[in-house]
Amino acid sequence: MNTDTPTPDQTPKLIPKTTNIAWFTGPAFLIIAAWFVLLAPSPAIPVASTPEFSPTLLEMTIRGTVKEDPPILRVGSYEYRCNDCHDIFKSGTEKTENLYQHLDIKFNHGINNRCFNCHDQENRNKLVGRNGGYISYTEIPTLCSQCHGPTFRDWERGMHGKTLGSWETDNPNQRRLECSECHNPHSPAFPDYEPLPGPNTLRMGDQPTELHHERKGPLALPFRSENGSHTDEGGADQ
Amino acid sequence: MTLRIWESQAGEAVSNSSSRSCNCQSRPGFTRRSFLRTAPGAVGGMAAMVAALSPLKDLPEGSLPSVEEFMQKHYKEMSPEEMDAALARMSREVEDRYGVVPSIKDYKPLEGVQFVYALNLSRCIGCRKCVHACVEENNQSRSPEIQYIRVLEMPRGTTDIEEGNHHYDRPTVPGDTHYYLPIQCHQCANPPCTKVCPVEATWKDDDGIVVIDYDWCIGCRYCEAACPYWARRFNFGEPSLPKDKINPDMGYLSNRPRPRGVVEKCHFCLHRTRQGKMPACLEICPVGARKFGNALDPESEVSQILKTKRIFVLKEEVGTLPRFFYYFDERYPRDDGNSPESHAEPVEASE
Repeated sequence: MNTDTPTPDQTPKLIPKTTNIAWFTGPAFLIIAAWFVLLAPSPAIPVASTPEFSPTLLEMTIRGTVKEDPPILRVGSYEYRCNDCHDIFKSGTEKTENLYQHLDIKFNHGINNRCFNCHDQENRNKLVGRNGGYISYTEIPTLCSQCHGPTFRDWERGMHGKTLGSWETDNPNQRRLECSECHNPHSPAFPDYEPLPGPNTLRMGDQPTELHHERKGPLALPFRSENGSHTDEGGADQ
Repeated sequence: MTLRIWESQAGEAVSNSSSRSCNCQSRPGFTRRSFLRTAPGAVGGMAAMVAALSPLKDLPEGSLPSVEEFMQKHYKEMSPEEMDAALARMSREVEDRYGVVPSIKDYKPLEGVQFVYALNLSRCIGCRKCVHACVEENNQSRSPEIQYIRVLEMPRGTTDIEEGNHHYDRPTVPGDTHYYLPIQCHQCANPPCTKVCPVEATWKDDDGIVVIDYDWCIGCRYCEAACPYWARRFNFGEPSLPKDKINPDMGYLSNRPRPRGVVEKCHFCLHRTRQGKMPACLEICPVGARKFGNALDPESEVSQILKTKRIFVLKEEVGTLPRFFYYFDERYPRDDGNSPESHAEPVEASE
């Protein structure tokens, strides 16, 4: 035995403190580990997905067609041309209010509100130019260019309208849509569109807070009130 | 027997520890005391490690790269044979996962082509068709939602995009008091995003398109932070893509399915445009506001626009030299104010 054997009251100090700590921390670690492995929520991030919308909204629409010259109305196996009727029934007046045929035509073309501004009064198989000459139904841009000069100029260069097929100017697939393929000649303004769903950026689904509403800028979240209606500026003038 | 040995060793340890000045000549054995002293710490440490690794149990199957993918070289360093092997691997993975046999190709930039995009702000009505056509074309994740194009609804009279709003929710567009500003990757001639990439996973190709090698991206998101146009998107979650919505025409650098943890963005539909086709967002546009072409071809639509229209780029002052231009039509006010011309145009930008 050594001479410096500690007295009994000093004995507890000899047990290293780390052991004491380990006795408590060890099981604590084990419990935490078990909690992580078994019970902790998986780190899945709440995500929002795009609301459903009709796939037809994503079909490319060409609104009109390039007409044959003269235009042909096909009913069953019969084919009618404009003059088949109009040679018999002469149009007396050119006021649209007095139409009793072609009632499906909704006429909304600004100050151009007379049929015979564009259609020839005598020969209905042809369109009429400002100089009185005929314009074929296959030359619609020529007809429109008489009033819409700058737009026609832009269309010729590809700055107005839509070009499909290819961006290569020498590619035979390249095709520029003509006026009547996008615009209804009788009502050329586009109708208003229902917009497709807006963005639901990741982790930005339904987490609206007053705080976000305070934030200005395009990355700010939309604010939905309790009843779910939008109160952001975008819908203010609905 | 064993117990007795342990006990004797433990007793020895006690005597050792109780005599601090002793130069313990016995070997530091595996005593009960030393065991009790170290075991909780060791177990606790292991438990902590298990806890730290526990998120791995939620790792979806197949989200770790295969050996082949792991050993794949950088896009620019691959030989043609290695590229073929890589494309075959990707094709196999898409087939395994989505049940569709894709055609994945490596589309190279065309000679003598500088792609340019132009967008007519006088025409855009904010219908968001381009956004969703892009999602369909480019196999973007539907949930979590990833979209390359953002459409801002802007009050008339300003081009300050801080005034814009993504979340406009009208029954019909366009709104009478706003115009619409779609933003996507501007494919800058001086791109800040490629400069910050620490691994050269993104670079500017010869035709001007800024591309990303999704297999090389480490997901640090520096590029996302560097982009002044908010053009880049990060796959925080595992991309989910309905099997029936897969677009099988894929390009290595464009619309092949991306893994979780990489950055992606608009690439001017390079798998289409490098074959001469138009981008998907342009084809769907119902008002013909989008124009695309080769700026080196003087006859192309974009050349004509750059020559004759009033154009501007977003955040010109940051010096990124975007190849995405916005332009206006001239205004021809009419007396009645109802004509489509006077209706659809924003107030001229006062800059």
